[in-house]
Amino acid sequence: MVQRILFVDDEPKVLTGLQRMLRGYRREWDMHFCDDPERALGLVADGAYDIVVTDMRMPGMDGAELLQQVRKLHPEAVRIVLSGQSDEEKVMRAVGPAHQYLSKPCDPDILQQTIRRAGDISARLREPQLRSLVAGLSSLPSLPAVYLELVSELRREDASIDRVGELISQDVGMTAKVLQLVNSSFFGLPVTVRDAVHAATLLGVDTLRPLVLTAGVFRQLEQSAAPQSLVEEVLHHSLSVGCLARRICQCERADDEVASAALLGGVLHDIGKLILADHFGSRYVKVLRQANSPTVDLCELERQEFGGSHAAVGGFLVGVWGLPHDLVEAIAFHHDPITEKPGAITPLAAVQAANALAKNCEALGIDPFRSPDVSCERLPWRETLTAAPP
Amino acid sequence: MLIAEPTISLDDLFDADHALDARPSFTSMTDAIAALRAAEERADWLQMVIDTGNDAYVSMSITGEILAWNKRAAELFGWTAAEVIGERLANTILPPANANDGVCRVKQLVAIQGAGKRVEIEATTRDGRKLPVEVSIAPMRRGSSFVMNAFIHDISARRELQAQLTHAQRMESVGQLSAGIAHEINTPTQYVGDNARFLGESFRDLLDVLQAYGALADAVRGGQDAQAALTNVEDAIEAAELDYLTDEIELAIQQSLEGVHRVASIVRAMKEFSHPGTVEKKPTNLNACVRNTVTVATNEWKYVATVEFDLDEHLPLTPCLPGDLNQVVLNLIVNAAQAIAEKVGPSPKVKGVIGVATRQADGGVEIEISDTGAGIPQDLQRRIFDPFFTTKDIGVGSGQGLAIARSVVVDKHAGRIDFESALGQGTRFVLWLPLPA
Repeated sequence: MVQRILFVDDEPKVLTGLQRMLRGYRREWDMHFCDDPERALGLVADGAYDIVVTDMRMPGMDGAELLQQVRKLHPEAVRIVLSGQSDEEKVMRAVGPAHQYLSKPCDPDILQQTIRRAGDISARLREPQLRSLVAGLSSLPSLPAVYLELVSELRREDASIDRVGELISQDVGMTAKVLQLVNSSFFGLPVTVRDAVHAATLLGVDTLRPLVLTAGVFRQLEQSAAPQSLVEEVLHHSLSVGCLARRICQCERADDEVASAALLGGVLHDIGKLILADHFGSRYVKVLRQANSPTVDLCELERQEFGGSHAAVGGFLVGVWGLPHDLVEAIAFHHDPITEKPGAITPLAAVQAANALAKNCEALGIDPFRSPDVSCERLPWRETLTAAPP
Repeated sequence: MLIAEPTISLDDLFDADHALDARPSFTSMTDAIAALRAAEERADWLQMVIDTGNDAYVSMSITGEILAWNKRAAELFGWTAAEVIGERLANTILPPANANDGVCRVKQLVAIQGAGKRVEIEATTRDGRKLPVEVSIAPMRRGSSFVMNAFIHDISARRELQAQLTHAQRMESVGQLSAGIAHEINTPTQYVGDNARFLGESFRDLLDVLQAYGALADAVRGGQDAQAALTNVEDAIEAAELDYLTDEIELAIQQSLEGVHRVASIVRAMKEFSHPGTVEKKPTNLNACVRNTVTVATNEWKYVATVEFDLDEHLPLTPCLPGDLNQVVLNLIVNAAQAIAEKVGPSPKVKGVIGVATRQADGGVEIEISDTGAGIPQDLQRRIFDPFFTTKDIGVGSGQGLAIARSVVVDKHAGRIDFESALGQGTRFVLWLPLPA
């Protein structure tokens, strides 16, 4: 399927440069270039684009406003800012409507990769309504206790970034959001980060304070259809899986990078459940209850009911948000059989094993998250891998 | 016997005239001794007041001969009282810059008192350092003559603070500018990079075509099947889209060169603008100054305004402090852009105009910066040069820009800064700098 991509920049030389640089993709991508944001808006109104890439500061209308309009007209479109602006105020404006933020000058490889991945990720979730729903999200519901404590910590003049990071890492939605902000160069931080505490430290209290208190990048559960008990259950299970996934990697003497990706993959692996519960509320709770029987496959049921599984939905969200690729895979495929021969352990394999183990632990009444002495050496995680549902 | 007046109070002691005229009379020996003790105590008291004061106290005759010199004066200037009493002021802390100057400076100091002012001067210490001080002088009648009492206050800390404040304002605008300059550089860097990537790929495509031509030449030379080789050439040409490449490569090179030129001109303007702070005035091309400053500030105005230059190309070199003057022009241009944004919004369809003009006038040169912005309300017009006065939001301006502009033009260059403004119509600032006669 050919991707339709729109590039908007008030400097025509930037557009012709992009056009030439991306010429190799001319058969896969249907690329359009526009040097006037008003005209670009007309183009978007006339026909859907899969991806919109825009400059931030332009005469007549800025990139944030353009993307806001694009979100209204075509919520399923992936919205990317490509800007040379380092002005923090402008960045704050883009946080809501933009999925990803790239800084000029942007390495051609990174720009190509970002667009390619956005295209791949869109191709995986074809159900248009579900795509619109997920791509239209700019935040996920957070548990009230954690949210309120974070707000009160940030309101303090001497707010501690360690405490802030710790709070964020205890919430699935907040963790995903800070990783989006750090990994996509919203704030010009040039590293790949797979750790919520590290992400919070990089952003710093001075950036997080306005993001949370005024821009509202985190959302309270009250403004959601998701029942609190479900959110708590997902969170508790996710933290267990994250913790186990990291320990599995450590047993395998994997790199720290793989281990922290596994931890995060575990924490975020059921983020799709939050998204579905957030939107469908009791309808989703009913589906979960039906899937409690061992003969029913939850993912299949979700596909029938909503057009996509929670794994695909979660993978689509973190993919659109520009989180690292290994994380996206660990989330999107955590219910799929691993086709490759397991060589070195990957975050995906660790999350799958940890997920199966956590379910065993839960059945046995062991809390792996709260009993750090549970050794993975003794846990039969290898067996769970081969036993992963087909 | 003299009768003592028991009513000499501390207040009287501080009233010099009264103290000198007081002629106490005593009625008995005991009274006289008591009165003497009291007088001694008062004298001690006075001496202590003088010696423990924070200011240097120097007393001198009308001809500039030093009569008294307190401890603080010794600390401040390095000479002890014993060393300087009887010396002339001109031989100590006010050395003449030229032969006649010493006397003049003392006379000047005395004359100031008539106006009831304190004056800031530069004194010299024993080890030759220049020390900025504030002097207040009061004359004291002593018989038929006068004595001059000077209290001298060290203001080097205050001077330092003022310098820091000016520096801070410059840094503030550099900080504001840096985000804009980054944007101005990042944009061309983006398309230069993209074009270079394209040129690299195009070169490989062209090599394929060249190779096919090479094979054709070999075939012709060797008497082989030239038709097949020709077909290969035509295929290679089609695969490479040679027509497209021919047009685009030329454009890509041309635009890349333009981009590099653009980056280079911004970097050059920044270097000129930041001008390592010269302390001496030097003959300066003001047209180059304003052009550079407009370039450096491009990102501040380009979304809301166009800049129209009307520069007198025959402007003589003008003696000035270029770094300071650039700062003034920058402040005025940023203000102009903000005034226009206030009127038309931050991303207008129809932009305003900033006019930048230079001309010779009135024995000097004028720099005029005008805008079609919101204008300054009548009731605020007389306050705009006040330090820290601002109508801008916190973080946008600290209210130092125009105060510093005035200080640079008027105090440092003996020039003038005037403006006129009409609400909703715009504002025009005119700087006038003198030319040497």
